[in-house]
Amino acid sequence: MRMANFRSSYGARRLALGVFLSVLLGFFLLPHQLQTLFQEIGGPVGWVLSWPIRLVASVQGGIGETWSHYVALQDVDDENRQLRKELELLQGQNSQLREAASATERLTALLEFKAQALPTMIAAQVIGRDTGNWYRTILLNKGSTDGIQADMGVVTSAGVVGRVVKTTMATAVVLLVSDPNNAIAGLIQRTRDEGIVEGTTPGLARLKYIPLLSNVRAGDRVVTSGLVGGFPRGLAIGTITTIGKEEGALFQSAELRPEVDVNRVEEVLVIQSPYIPGEDGKSDGPLPKAKP
Amino acid sequence: MKIVVYACAVAALVAVHTTVLPYVSVWGVKPDIGLVAVCLIGLLSGELEGLVVGLFVGWAMSLFSATDLAASMVAKGSVGFLAGLAGRQVAQVTPLVLVSGLVVASTLSSLMTIWSLKPNDQQDIWWMIRTILMPQACFDAVVGGLCYWLIWSRLNLDRLAEGREF
Repeated sequence: MRMANFRSSYGARRLALGVFLSVLLGFFLLPHQLQTLFQEIGGPVGWVLSWPIRLVASVQGGIGETWSHYVALQDVDDENRQLRKELELLQGQNSQLREAASATERLTALLEFKAQALPTMIAAQVIGRDTGNWYRTILLNKGSTDGIQADMGVVTSAGVVGRVVKTTMATAVVLLVSDPNNAIAGLIQRTRDEGIVEGTTPGLARLKYIPLLSNVRAGDRVVTSGLVGGFPRGLAIGTITTIGKEEGALFQSAELRPEVDVNRVEEVLVIQSPYIPGEDGKSDGPLPKAKP
Repeated sequence: MKIVVYACAVAALVAVHTTVLPYVSVWGVKPDIGLVAVCLIGLLSGELEGLVVGLFVGWAMSLFSATDLAASMVAKGSVGFLAGLAGRQVAQVTPLVLVSGLVVASTLSSLMTIWSLKPNDQQDIWWMIRTILMPQACFDAVVGGLCYWLIWSRLNLDRLAEGREF
C-alpha cells in the first residue's frame, strides 16, 4: 500500500482549480480559436512525437519481417504476399476497366470523348493506428510538409481506403472508409445510381440514399462518383452484399463489403489533386474542399 | 527534471499507443494507458500535476487520432484533476481503491467522448457502451492494477525514494 498524496499545498490546489476552470471556459467560449491554436502548435510537437512512433514502428516492422521470413514459412509467405499484391492490382485494374468500358459506351453514344486527367498522388506508409477506440483511423508517415492536407482521399491499387482528417508536420491521420463518421459520394457501377457511402459500427460500409426505383442487386460494385470530396470518379469502394428496403422509406440502402482490407493495409497513395474533366475536355483543377 | 521525465513518458506512451497496443487489443478494444498514467500521477502527485499532465497527454494523443482535440484534453485533464482531489480524500491507496477509481474515471472519460461524438440514434449509443465503454473500463482497471502492482510491489519505489537498499 502507498500513502495517498497529502503534499499539495493550498496554493497549488487553487492554481490547479484556476487552470482547470480556465481551460473549460476557454473551450466553451472560444472552441474554434483554441482548437486552431492547439492544432497549429501541434504541428512541430507532432513532428517531434512522430520520431518515437517511427522508431517503434520500424522495430516492430523489423521483428515482424524477421518472424515472417525466418521463423514462419518463408516460401508460403512470399508466395502469398505476391499473390495478394497481384490480386489487388488485378481488382484495381478490373474496376478501372469496367468503369472505362462503361464510360466509353456512354461517351461514344454522345460522340464526344472527355479525357480524365490522372490525379497527383503521394505514396505513404502506415506507421500506426488510432490512439483511442472510438475511431477507425490509420497513421501515415507523411504530413503537411509533404503536401498532405485534410480532406484528401487515400487509396491503394485495390480501391478507396479513407480520407485525411488531421495532419501534423510529419504525420497524417486517415479516417477509414469503414468508420461511421466517414462519408464518400458513391456510384453503383451497373445502374449509375448515386448515393453516400458511410461506415457502419461493425466495421463494414453502407450505401445510403439509393433511389427506390433503382434495380440494384447484391454483387453490384460501388465506385467513387467524383462529384464531391477528394476522390476522382471510378475508384472501387466495395461490393454490395445485401439491400435494405424499409416500408414507407423514401430511399433504399445497401450493405457493402469494402474492397480494401483496411486492417491489413501497409502502403497507401494520398490523392493530392483529383481532377475532373470540364465541358471542353480540359481539367477543371482541384475539387473544392468538403466542409467539415 | 520532472518536466523532461513527463515529456519522455508522454512520447513513449503515444508511440506505444499507436504502434503496439493495436496488436494486444481484446475484441478490438485496447486499454487507454494514457488515462491510467494520468490517473496514477494525479492520485500520487496532486491535482496540479495531474491536470497539467492530463491536458498534455490529451493533446498529444489527439494529434494522432481523429478524436476531437477539446474533448480529449478536457477528458484527460479532468481525470488528472479529479484523481488529485480523490488522492487527498483517501488515507491509503489500495489496489481495490485504484481499480475502482480507474473504472469510474474510464467510464466518465468514455461518456464524455460519446457525448462529443453525438451519435444519431439510441442503438448506436448502446452499441458504444456495450462494445467500447464497458470493456475499456475493465481493461483500464486491470492495466492500472497491474502497473500499481509492478511499480510498488515489485520495484519497491517507496524504498528507493527513501534512499534504502532493495
